[in-house]
Amino acid sequence: MLRLDAYVIPALDGVVYGLLLFVVAAGLVLCFGVADILNLAHGTLYAVGAYTAAALWNGGWPALLVGLAVAPVAAGAAGAAVAGLLAPVARRDHLAQALLTFGVALAGGSLLVAAFGPDDLPVRVPAALAGTVEVAGHRYSAYRLVFLVAGTALAVLLHAVVARTRAGMLVRAAADDAEMVAALGFSPARVRLGVLASAGALAGLGGALGAPIIGPGPGAAPTVLLLSLVVVVLGGTAGSAGSAGSVGSVGRTLVAALAVGEIQSLGVALAPGAAPFLLFGAMAVVLAGRSLAKSAGPIRTWRPARAWLRT
Amino acid sequence: MPSTIPRRPVRSGAAVLLALALAATSACGGNAENASGKTVTVGLLASLSGIYQSVGTDIRDGFQVYLSTHGNKLGGHDVKLVVADEGDGAPTAVPAATKLIKRDRIQVLTGIVGGGSMAAVYPVLQQARIPFIGSNGRPALKDVSRVWHTSYLSNETGAAIADYVATNVNGSVYAIGPDYQGGWDQLGGFTKAFAKAGGKLANTDGDTTFTPFPTTKNFTPYFARIKASGAAAVYTFYAGSAAIEFVKQYAQSEIKDLPLYAAGFLTEGGVLAAQGDSARNIYSVLNYSPDLDNAENRAFVAAWRGDHDRPPTTYAMASYDAAAVLDKAIAATGGDPTPERINEAIAGLGRIDSPRGPWQFSQKTHSPVQKWYLRQVRPDGRALSNTIVGDLATVGG
Repeated sequence: MLRLDAYVIPALDGVVYGLLLFVVAAGLVLCFGVADILNLAHGTLYAVGAYTAAALWNGGWPALLVGLAVAPVAAGAAGAAVAGLLAPVARRDHLAQALLTFGVALAGGSLLVAAFGPDDLPVRVPAALAGTVEVAGHRYSAYRLVFLVAGTALAVLLHAVVARTRAGMLVRAAADDAEMVAALGFSPARVRLGVLASAGALAGLGGALGAPIIGPGPGAAPTVLLLSLVVVVLGGTAGSAGSAGSVGSVGRTLVAALAVGEIQSLGVALAPGAAPFLLFGAMAVVLAGRSLAKSAGPIRTWRPARAWLRT
Repeated sequence: MPSTIPRRPVRSGAAVLLALALAATSACGGNAENASGKTVTVGLLASLSGIYQSVGTDIRDGFQVYLSTHGNKLGGHDVKLVVADEGDGAPTAVPAATKLIKRDRIQVLTGIVGGGSMAAVYPVLQQARIPFIGSNGRPALKDVSRVWHTSYLSNETGAAIADYVATNVNGSVYAIGPDYQGGWDQLGGFTKAFAKAGGKLANTDGDTTFTPFPTTKNFTPYFARIKASGAAAVYTFYAGSAAIEFVKQYAQSEIKDLPLYAAGFLTEGGVLAAQGDSARNIYSVLNYSPDLDNAENRAFVAAWRGDHDRPPTTYAMASYDAAAVLDKAIAATGGDPTPERINEAIAGLGRIDSPRGPWQFSQKTHSPVQKWYLRQVRPDGRALSNTIVGDLATVGG
C-alpha cells in the first residue's frame, strides 16, 4: 500500500494542472473552432491576466477578488484588440493568421517585460491560501485545492453556457455553418470580435487563477501556449474544425486537458526517466491512432493496393 | 560556468531578427574611432534583452559602478565603454561581438552571460587575439591563454558545500537538478565531493535526479519521490524561472520541512523577490553576499545602492571585479595598453581585493581561487536577503 500512497498527491495535482490547462485551452478551442482563427497570442493573453492579477494582489481577500475581476477584463480587451488586428486577414489562410498572432505574441511579451520588468512578479495570495492542508495523510497546497473547486465549477459553467444559452447556440451555429449564421443577420466580424474577446477573458481568468501555479514571467506565455496547443490537438479540434463549437468539444477538451495534467504529474512520478518525452510521446500515439481510425482501418486502404498489385 | 544559464531556443528566431536590426543600425551610424592615444576601448557584451535580461543588466551595471567610482579611468587611462546586446545566445552574441571587434576596435572584451554564447564568441576572439575577462558563463575551452573569468567554474559551487552538508545532515541527501550542461556540472560537482566526504545520496538509483529543462514546470511528482526516498535533506541547483517554481512548490509540498541546500543561484537576484516567503530559511552556497563585511564590499554596495533599489548580485560583483582586474592590468602595461600587453599583465596580477574578499586567478584554469560562503534566506527589514551564516571551502584551480 505504501507504493500506491506515494502517487496520491501526483494524481491529485494532475487534476489541478489539467483543470488549469482546460480553462486556458477552452479559449483557444473557441477561437479556432468558431472563428476559425489560429490565435498564437493566446498564451500572451494568459500572461496579461497573470500579470494583472499579480500586480493587484497584495495578500488580502478584497485585492484577490479585484484581481480576479479585472484580469479577465484586461485580457478580454487584449483579445478584442487581436480581433481588430486580424480583421484584414480574417479571410486569409491559417498561415497568415499564425504569423500575425505570433508577431502579436512577441510584441506583447516585450511590452509586458517593458511594463513589469524582466523578472517574474511575486504572487501574493491571502495567508490562508498560501499554506498547506492535510489531504489523505499528505501535505498539499491549500491554493491548489481551492483551484480544484474553482476549476471544476468553471468547467461546469462553461459547458452550461455552450449547451444552454443563446450565446452558446450562436457560437455552435457559427462553428457549424458560418454563412447561414451571417444570412440570419449576425455579422461575422462581430461574432469574431465576441469570440476573441470571450476567449481572451477566459485566458485572463485562467491567468489570474493560475498565477500561483504558472506565474507571471517572460516564460509564462510560451509555456501556456505550447501546453494548450497540445490539449487542442489531443482534444481533436485541429482535425475537425467544423464541430469544434459543439457541446461535445467542451467535454473532449476537458478530457484532453486532464490527460495532459496527469501525464505531466502522475506520469512523471511513475516514470521519471521518460519525463522528457512522455507528453509528446502520448500525443504521437493519439495522433497515430486517430489517423488509423479515420482511414477506417487499414483494410479499405489495403484493398485497392492489392487490386493494383493484381493488374 | 558551462551554461549555468542555458540557451532557450524558443525566441531565437526573434533574437536573430533583433541582431540583424542592431547590426543594420550600427552599420549606418558607425563611428569607427581608432583605439589610439590614451583612451582604452573596452567592449562589454551582455544580455540586455530576452530571457537573461536581469543578469545581463547586472553585469553591465556592475562594470559601470566600478568606472563611475574610479573617475571613468582604468589603469590611469580614460575608458570608452562600448556595450552590446548578447541576447538569448549564440545567434545574437556572435554578430554583436564581431561588431565590437571590427567596428569599435575594442582592445579588450568583458561580460557574456551564457556559456553557450561564450563558446560561440570564443573563435572570433581567438582570431582577433583580444583578451577576454568573462564575468559569468564559462564553457569548457581548450586554450585559455587569452580567456579569464572572474566568476567560477560550474562544478566548484557544489564542491564547496558538499563537506558541510555531509557533516551537518543526519541521514541521506536527495540530489535533484535540471537536465542540461549547467545542471550536470553543478550537481556533478556536489555529488563527487559529497561522496568523497562520506555522504550518502537518497536517490533510488544512487545518482542525481535530472528534470527535463526548461519544460519542467511542475515539481510535485518529484517531491513525492523525494518523500518516498526517506531523505533527510535536499540539495539542488536551479536558476531563473525554474528556481522560482521549484522554491514556491517546495514550500507547499509534503517535503516542505526537509532542509533545502542549494547552489546560490536558486535564491540570487530577481528570483528571490518572486519566491517571497517560500524561500525563507533556504541554505545556499555562493561566492558572494551583499552583507559581507569588508571595505571593498562596503564601498561597492554603497555605490550600487546609489542608483539601484535592489541589492547587488554575484553577477554584478563579478563584473565589478572584471573592471578591477582591467584597472590593475592596464596600469601594469606601462602606458601602452595593447591587447597583448593587457593579457600578459593579467597573468601577473596576484591577489585581487574584491567585494567577495581577496582572490586570485588560477594559472591553470584562469578562473578564481576563492572562498565560498554559506548563506541563508532571512528577513532583512521588509525584504528577504541571503544572509551570510559562515565560511565554506576555498576552491579553485
